[in-house]
Amino acid sequence: MATERGVRRLTAVDAGAAALGLFAGQKAADALALAPELVTAEADPAADAAALLELADWCARFSPAAAMAPPDGLFLDITGVDHLWGGEAAMMDDFAARLGKNGLPVRAAVAGSPGAAWALAHFGPDRAVVSGCEPLSPLPVAALRLSPADAAQIARLGLRSIGALAALPRDQVGRRFGPEVMRRLDQALGRASEALAFRRPPNPWFARAAFAEPISVSEDLARACGDIVERLCARLEAEGRGARRFDLAFHRLDGVAERLAIGLALPGRDAAVVTRLFLPLLERVDPGFGIDAVTLGAREVEAAAPRQRSLSCLHGKGEEDLAPLVDRLTNRLGETAVWRDEAFPSHAPERAVKRRPPLSPSANAGWDPARPRPLRLFRRPEPIEAVAPIPDDPPVLFRWRGMAHRVRRAEGPERLGEEWWRRPFDRADASKARDYYQVEDEAGARFWLFRVGLYDGPDPPTWWLHGLFG
Amino acid sequence: MSRQARLMAVRASLAVLEGTAGRPVLPFGDARVDDRLPGGGLPLGRWHEAGGEGMEIETAAAASAFVAALAAPLAERGEVVWIMRRDDLYAPGLAGLGFPAERLIQVCVRDEAAALAALEDALGAAGVAAAIGEAESPDLVVGRRLQLACERHGATGFLIHRRLFGGETRGKGSAAATRWRIAPAPSETAPGEPGLGAPRWRVSLERCRGGHTGDWIMEKSNGPLPLRVVAELGDRQLGAPQPWRRLAG
Repeated sequence: MATERGVRRLTAVDAGAAALGLFAGQKAADALALAPELVTAEADPAADAAALLELADWCARFSPAAAMAPPDGLFLDITGVDHLWGGEAAMMDDFAARLGKNGLPVRAAVAGSPGAAWALAHFGPDRAVVSGCEPLSPLPVAALRLSPADAAQIARLGLRSIGALAALPRDQVGRRFGPEVMRRLDQALGRASEALAFRRPPNPWFARAAFAEPISVSEDLARACGDIVERLCARLEAEGRGARRFDLAFHRLDGVAERLAIGLALPGRDAAVVTRLFLPLLERVDPGFGIDAVTLGAREVEAAAPRQRSLSCLHGKGEEDLAPLVDRLTNRLGETAVWRDEAFPSHAPERAVKRRPPLSPSANAGWDPARPRPLRLFRRPEPIEAVAPIPDDPPVLFRWRGMAHRVRRAEGPERLGEEWWRRPFDRADASKARDYYQVEDEAGARFWLFRVGLYDGPDPPTWWLHGLFG
Repeated sequence: MSRQARLMAVRASLAVLEGTAGRPVLPFGDARVDDRLPGGGLPLGRWHEAGGEGMEIETAAAASAFVAALAAPLAERGEVVWIMRRDDLYAPGLAGLGFPAERLIQVCVRDEAAALAALEDALGAAGVAAAIGEAESPDLVVGRRLQLACERHGATGFLIHRRLFGGETRGKGSAAATRWRIAPAPSETAPGEPGLGAPRWRVSLERCRGGHTGDWIMEKSNGPLPLRVVAELGDRQLGAPQPWRRLAG
């Protein structure tokens, strides 16, 4: 029930209430008069929408392309997947049966276009499988998803079925009723295309396997993973393509899907490599009461030429190059855990190094080996106390982490100015420049110290330790 | 056959039997060091350990510099992977030591077990010439696994002992081919020249399979070889050490 303009009305009724003659939109007072024992609940559109979203995600076990048709419908694009059930009718029956087992009564229809399917599901016979537009003719005009004004206008002219509307000449219909009606008519008859907002982008690279008995043992999961990866990779190989991302989903009996994903640095289709990358992730899968379907999707599919293996693999076990090692480490440790450094032109030493993925080519020149730089750079410079003769000499004694170091030799200063272009121009401050010194203490250990601030400035200068040399 | 010739023949057959004949080595270029190592240089295709003391246990700066200098010639033969638990390795510093830092693949892991697993993985991959890992002391089983991984493709491994928050790292026995202890040493310049000289380290070879131990001061050199021996330290032996192995290594 919901309150509309100050009047309580019914928003939805179930089968039992409909049998008593109640309908959606009826005033609550009338409804309660007709059926005093009516059980009512407050309408919650937000929760309904969230539940529909969950249902769309659950449908991923049937087809990866699921879209919502609010308030209470779903579109499923089953191009190319219905053969896994042995036909469209069998797939629809299985779908409706599963939803029925979960307590959701459903009307379904299969057609060649989304508009036709919507019309048949709402107004046609239940579980219709049609191709072509003949069966749409007897359906009422409301099945075209028109706005109430257009629908009322068409009804006033005595056109009651889609067939009657379609029989009129096209230009007259367009002129009389407007482009919207033409668009909806064309969408229903399959003459115009319709863009659906899929939960996941439609993916032609999709494989699915269902089990007669639900599985939960880890060896079975590993074997199922291996089989489905082999199937999809065989398809990729037949078309000369490789993929960079593979998404594996295990669908449990209670509707929850456990998802795993791996990425490859170079597009690949080697089933053994991909399975080996999935195997360590299988430990995270919680099978619950059992898993009855597994689906695999491949994304970022590109053309990948077959790679010639080198001759040494005839003698050894098969030579890998660096990409498999990088893939294994990246998938096990994370995307940011493996990198190569490249030079970045910056004054500040902590910004002079940028990370890049290990297999991408480098364009920059390296670093200048003549400037002394430490081997270990602290993420944050550590404050130290230093004694230094002014104005520019390196320190003679400094104290770090409670230990005093007497400086025997030193080099410097190297002044690294502030990057004035990073701030507004009028806030550039010359006294923020750092003077770096490379010092060696009496034991031979070398440190990279810097001083911030000038001696005759407003604040006393501070000393910091930024890194250690070998 | 004279006694010398017989001795040479026995030595050659011993070398063949224990597998050090013909194994590739990385020579230091100085007889004082190379005579103590089996085969005349640092054995490749095996893994080595390096560590320090005091502040070095936590920062491992001198040991990393030594290992980077040693691994620089290997970087031309293949890829080098560096596995660390704290990502404070600074690439321009490596470039200053003569190591091609833009070719280095760096891996940052969360804990000790992941570091050893990644090191084993990198050593066993083809195309990798050297892999350097920072970890605490591995035990014998892990050491044996690292050795097996090295033998697959002939990669050389270096394990730098580092405990991120200080503490004792003194080891139990391990399966490394050599074990080094590195400490910084004061540098010298030509008389009258200001500033710092080339970095110097006090390098002591604590364990060596098939070789002797030794103690030297080495310096980073700009020549064809990465390190130059400045002086030899340690107990004076009565004669020059023989370049063949004793029974216990």
